[in-house]
Amino acid sequence: MPRTLIIGYGNLDRADDGVAYFVINTLRRRLGQAALPEDNTGLEELGAQTDSIFLPQLVPELIDTLADYDQVIFVDAHVLEDVPDLFCTPVLPEYTPSAFTHHVTPAMLLALLHGLHHREPAAHILSIRGYEFDFHRGLSAVTRTVADQAVEHILRSAAPSVSVSTCCHTPIEPEKPSH
Amino acid sequence: MSRRITIDPVTRLEGHGRIEIFLDEAGDVERAFFQVPELRGFEEFCKGRPAEEMPRITPRICGVCPTTHHMASTKALDDLWKVEPPRTAKLLRELVNSAFMVEDHYIHFFFLGGPDFVVGPQAPAAERNILGVIAKVGLEIAGQVIRVRKECRNIIRTLTGKVIHPVFGLPGGVSRGMSEEERAEFIDTAKFAVEFAQFALQIFRDVVLKNKDYVDVILSDAYSHQTYYMGLVDEDNKVNFYDGKVRVVDPSGKQVAKFAPREYVDYIREHIEPWSYISFPYLKSVGWKGFVDGPDSGVYRVAPLARLNVSDGMATPLAQQAHDEMYEILGGKPVHATLAFHWARLIEALYAAERMVELLEDPAITGEHIRNLPTKTPKEGVGIVEAPRGTLIHHYQSDERGILTAVSLIVATNHNAAPIAMSVEKAAKGLIKKGNVSDGLLNMVEMAFRAYDPCFACATHAIGQTPLEVTVFAADGTVLERIAR
Repeated sequence: MPRTLIIGYGNLDRADDGVAYFVINTLRRRLGQAALPEDNTGLEELGAQTDSIFLPQLVPELIDTLADYDQVIFVDAHVLEDVPDLFCTPVLPEYTPSAFTHHVTPAMLLALLHGLHHREPAAHILSIRGYEFDFHRGLSAVTRTVADQAVEHILRSAAPSVSVSTCCHTPIEPEKPSH
Repeated sequence: MSRRITIDPVTRLEGHGRIEIFLDEAGDVERAFFQVPELRGFEEFCKGRPAEEMPRITPRICGVCPTTHHMASTKALDDLWKVEPPRTAKLLRELVNSAFMVEDHYIHFFFLGGPDFVVGPQAPAAERNILGVIAKVGLEIAGQVIRVRKECRNIIRTLTGKVIHPVFGLPGGVSRGMSEEERAEFIDTAKFAVEFAQFALQIFRDVVLKNKDYVDVILSDAYSHQTYYMGLVDEDNKVNFYDGKVRVVDPSGKQVAKFAPREYVDYIREHIEPWSYISFPYLKSVGWKGFVDGPDSGVYRVAPLARLNVSDGMATPLAQQAHDEMYEILGGKPVHATLAFHWARLIEALYAAERMVELLEDPAITGEHIRNLPTKTPKEGVGIVEAPRGTLIHHYQSDERGILTAVSLIVATNHNAAPIAMSVEKAAKGLIKKGNVSDGLLNMVEMAFRAYDPCFACATHAIGQTPLEVTVFAADGTVLERIAR
């Protein structure tokens, strides 16, 4: 049975940038797993059909973990105005570091994984629009609503009965109108 | 027709940097600006908070240099409360800082900037990365890099609680000691790091130094600036990442200043430009003369090459040999070649690894006395350490309760901001002629930029990747052409 790893990443101290932490812990509760305390990435508790971790940043060493999975879903915030608030896109191996930053992207990780372990899991980035990035914790109301949608979407995508490579093919449920 | 070229990583939220290049009527480069158009505001944000929270707050400035922010902050607290940490605590702090230096230098050299050389400056951008390194050097290298980084991060995680947001340093000491079992494990890591560092330097020799074209690029005028240099040195003027005095040498290598951390305000001033939120530090005694090099300009550089330039050598034997080799090949001190920062980075990684062994073999590192409690009334404190990308200064003032009233942070990329802008401009001027914007501009500018290992980032939320884009604008704002990848 295919195994799925969900990797949330972002900065808990910058409001909506920490949306993935909310998604990961809501997801874990829904899966009957304990929520991750702030100081626990979840990397020490892997082994389930669907595992989930939260990290401040992606690092090359993660490929040793990724090698054990058939599907990887990266959960992150986005600030793009021209894509939906909840946006899923497949990610393929590609290694192009930025001149300006020090971070490793999902595509770079997958390229490393392929280069070193010859593994190429189905991978997707599920991005949630962030609206507030001030120095505080907690999500804006809009982002919180989209985060709930993201959890439902992941649960449908990572269900044991569902084959891999489905995250972006699973229809994103439209937001229910509030009354 | 006057035109503007913008190189802009469009998806950044934090640490947003931008390069704008202005062409004159003839289509040649008139000026190039390196901008940071985002106000971080951390200094203001910290006012009113208890000073002892700073080692936990400041690592959150960025996820890239958390360990060194933690160390600089902790040292500033030592100074604020005028408390001297026990020797064991100092050894442990330096061990953590050294382990961080090793792992961080390697992510830059093997994953980000170094492939420019190992794979080749003329290689397609898509190949100038760790996968290109693997193709050139062999698959084993990547596994070794990942292993050394993983094990060094394990030392940091074990001692500080978290790799990214450490909870370790306290005014007067540290929060936990080290067991003999941990020491035995960490020594294996340190010895492996020494072995790997020598291997990495051999790769540099075999691939870069044996290729005349590469050496010519390193030594070319397009990548050279005759600046002042700054870095921490120990009592013997040897490179030190954790403690000591700040030494400054002029473009001829002559010492012009050597001062204790508390005295930095007498030597450094910050110039402000209206087009950037980043400040441009300069030497007070020389003065700000604009974005120019030479002995009359107060612009100075920090980070690996600067640290080696200001020092009388390395404090460990293998690193000293590597240091001597570099200066012999590049013509003696100081070396002004910006691309030599990569070489110096590898020498520093070797020093940091050797230093880890020394620290771990010191019996005092497993001592039980890890903190002296502060008893004095706080007022003002300065902490300086060397981050992988340069000198890091934390300066706090507080009331008698330790509530912060003023905070000043000068981070590594601040120091190098003016040289980076100058390097970008020089590369742009060398490439853009009569309005012709070559695809090679991206490579050339990136190489000048990357050598400094600058960092403006910590948020990592891009869909896909952070694009780099050059846009050419006509004077009326019309986009004439765009190059992106």
